[in-house]
Amino acid sequence: MAEFCGKVHESKMEPAIRTERLTKIYGQRLIAVNDMNLEVPQGCVFGLLGPNGAGKTTTLRLLLGLQRPTAGRAEVFGKVCGPNAVGVRSQIGYLPTNPRLPGNLHPIEYLDLLGRLLRLRREVRKPRISALLRAVGLLGATEQRIRTFSTGMCTRLGIAASLVGDPPLLIWDEPTAGLDPSARRFTLDLIRELGKTKTIVIATHILGDIDQICDHLGVMHEGRMIFTGSMQDMKRRLRHDAFTLELEGDNENLLRLAQEASRLEGIEARIGPGETLVVGIAEGRSRSGALAEVLKAVDACNLSLQAIHSGRNATENAYLQLLQEDEAHGFGR
Amino acid sequence: MDSVDETSKLGTRLMPYAAILRHDLAGLWASRLVRLWLAGTALLTFFLVAGNWTQFQDAPLIASVLFPYLVFPWFFVVVALGVSPVSGSTAEALADGILSRPVSRWEYLLAAWSARVAVVLAVYLVVVVPAILVVTLADRPVREDSVRVYGVISVLFVVGLVLTFLVSLGFLVGTVLRKPLLAVVVLIFVWYPIGLILSMFSLEEFSPVSLSRAVAGQLRRPWRQSAEEAKAAANMEDMQQFSEQLGSFFSRLSGGAARPKASRDAFFETKEFEDFSLFRVTLGYGLPTLVAVILAMLSFYWRDL
Repeated sequence: MAEFCGKVHESKMEPAIRTERLTKIYGQRLIAVNDMNLEVPQGCVFGLLGPNGAGKTTTLRLLLGLQRPTAGRAEVFGKVCGPNAVGVRSQIGYLPTNPRLPGNLHPIEYLDLLGRLLRLRREVRKPRISALLRAVGLLGATEQRIRTFSTGMCTRLGIAASLVGDPPLLIWDEPTAGLDPSARRFTLDLIRELGKTKTIVIATHILGDIDQICDHLGVMHEGRMIFTGSMQDMKRRLRHDAFTLELEGDNENLLRLAQEASRLEGIEARIGPGETLVVGIAEGRSRSGALAEVLKAVDACNLSLQAIHSGRNATENAYLQLLQEDEAHGFGR
Repeated sequence: MDSVDETSKLGTRLMPYAAILRHDLAGLWASRLVRLWLAGTALLTFFLVAGNWTQFQDAPLIASVLFPYLVFPWFFVVVALGVSPVSGSTAEALADGILSRPVSRWEYLLAAWSARVAVVLAVYLVVVVPAILVVTLADRPVREDSVRVYGVISVLFVVGLVLTFLVSLGFLVGTVLRKPLLAVVVLIFVWYPIGLILSMFSLEEFSPVSLSRAVAGQLRRPWRQSAEEAKAAANMEDMQQFSEQLGSFFSRLSGGAARPKASRDAFFETKEFEDFSLFRVTLGYGLPTLVAVILAMLSFYWRDL
């Protein structure tokens, strides 16, 4: 797995995170994490992807020792995670989703409190706090109380808080949630920059973020890890859905079009949601030529073309395909 | 040089505890509940002292000032203060903010408990000590009383111990039940009939009412007399009596028959509460306090955040 990251780490190096059959069941009713085996190599920017309720946050909280596993174990840099695993948490900078910060404090007071929790001495703590506030662009807001901060400012402060101890592993849970475009851009740039020296785990369901910053990926669905690998691996799994045609006409004609288009060389066509036709084009086949032939068939089947969408977001398609496959496997899962 | 290093190491080790303690103290001091309580207790003490200025001797007047802390109504506040830090939405916030850092749950819980005990004792002493000084030093139009320094200190200690116990009880119930409102309701239902509950276990002397009635006598007790009593193996007797009480308590708890004992009315009619033993009361409240803190820690350690 280490080969995917292309960073400075050897294959025999201890993984930053390792889970073995990690399972979390709430109250004998809800399986939040199901028999999860995962290895995150050091130096990766790892995207933990999954729909809401997939178990991403629970996994992160198990790593932090905020929750206890029902079965299995989790390790961070070879140390077992647990409620009193202070050594593990000193290696982790955690940013929760929409961090809840003490509104009555000023940012410097808050970061100073965290510095003390991290047992940093004054001569280390103070310069680091001012450097972090400068780095996250909050130097001008030091006289404001945290309760007056916007969502973006809170996230920036949360990011600074996760970096106070200069940990080798950052675990950020949906760091771009609720941010405006400029704050989102800032956060993604920061992740890219930090990823040069640290291992970063980003839990999110925003595929665009994963696409931009991650070099390695894990996809969770209903508590299970259904895919881990590099981004290239993920995209390689994708069928080449080149176009989606939005059409108007009889369903029979649409069905006929799908059959006729599939008979064309190097083209695979299937009916999509609504009145759409998803057209897959084989490697080496001319996209424009293929599209021209499909459009002729549209006319021949008495259908009216409303729009053409190019299937450009390979990650999104691959992700949705994974989820569909996982659901289709039923008992085989 | 080594001792400086040791001190520095100890300081670094205790840094998270001290940081949480300081943070919690600041938060508590800024809370409306504590400020209202401080104002309320000051006002009530003032009225109690002023209203009885010309009627009560020193000891009964001081006992009346301490009554609200032992019986009613301040246990509400003390219990509510104990319940809050580890239950409800506070727990979630602290998980994200503090317990996701390299802080053990013991450290957090001990710091939060210490902060609450410190605030409760500070509010209590800040109001009560000046009131006692005024009462004992002022030239009042009542018969002179023989209140002793030892008596005052021991009584302050006993009430402080009861308040510490209440904070710890709130802590335990808040941790176990998780819902602050439910925890407060449960504690009210437990604490209100505490005299009755204690009498079932023949432990009437530890009830807040009997403590409150014993306060006046204890205030007049001199240090030397109690030292002599101690020399006369009073502590051994106390210890024996305490172990008997403990045995009776567990026997009753496990469904065994209780030893024949005077009824609750008899306890007060015969003025048994005047047989006040600081040693027994210290054990009677100190041990449950320790047990409550340890159980709260265990419960907090095992739970998910």
